[in-house]
Amino acid sequence: MINHETELKLQAYLDGELSPGEAKAVEDLTNRDADAWALFEELKLTKSLLAENELEVRLPESRGFYWSKIQRQIEREEKEQASEQTEAAASSWWLRFLAPAAALVALAVLVVVALRAPKGAETLVALDDSHEIETPLEETSSFSFQSEAAGMTVVWVDSHRE
Amino acid sequence: MKKIVPFGGISLATVVLFFVYSCLVRSGSTDLALQAQLVWGTNNDKPDDPKLKEVDAKVTERLRTALKWKNYFEVNRQNFIVRAGTPKKVKMSDHCEIEVENFGNSSIEVKLYGKGKMVVKKTQKIKPGELLIFAGDDKNDTAWFVVLSQSEK
Repeated sequence: MINHETELKLQAYLDGELSPGEAKAVEDLTNRDADAWALFEELKLTKSLLAENELEVRLPESRGFYWSKIQRQIEREEKEQASEQTEAAASSWWLRFLAPAAALVALAVLVVVALRAPKGAETLVALDDSHEIETPLEETSSFSFQSEAAGMTVVWVDSHRE
Repeated sequence: MKKIVPFGGISLATVVLFFVYSCLVRSGSTDLALQAQLVWGTNNDKPDDPKLKEVDAKVTERLRTALKWKNYFEVNRQNFIVRAGTPKKVKMSDHCEIEVENFGNSSIEVKLYGKGKMVVKKTQKIKPGELLIFAGDDKNDTAWFVVLSQSEK
């Protein structure tokens, strides 16, 4: 059984890529090992078939024109790439300008809303709407009532006078 | 490496300045401009006292909707500003005094003093246009009122 390394060595030998020492070793191997010899022959046949039957590509135009087309194609792609980069840079500039600007506007709106809460939105800032009343004097009592219609709160103080 | 947000320093400084400005505006807005009126209510006609003035018609109308007296006369009026954290004492008459403390966000604490003694203490919000009234009976079925409101700008 031939291992993968030997297969590669055989292939390299066939392509003339081995040093003289290595080439000698491969030759010795093919002489004494039937499997190695069979594989070598198979590879050699394959190579000769590919070399003999490779399709020849003929350019439909002159060589100079063919390469000038490739050059123009490369130049066009380079221009397009540069244009895309410029557009990206421009858009990113706006994005970079708009991002902090939008954040500031949002912040401003938030602060304005907090500072000037409309009548209907009082609860937005009115976290503590406590109504406390205290009457420390024993001879005095008090109560409060609220008139929504009149928009007023009345704290009535009763001094229990006769 | 490219920064996502350029001018980082400028943006930060702008935000900080904005916050500082907002805080200043906010702290300025915590000053509360108030008006206190000492009012006398009666069902009789106006007595012959030049010191008494008729209370503003709109306020009178509002008082009439919730209270039983027909006529209201202003004895004294004080306009004052209460800064946050600095209680303000205002003398309404020889025997009547109020002390107002501003807790911010239109929330106030009012102490009513009668003859030097604290009679009642009330804490609540006072919105523009709203009235906070301290009241009590007086002689001959009349009544006194201390009417607090935010001063009109």
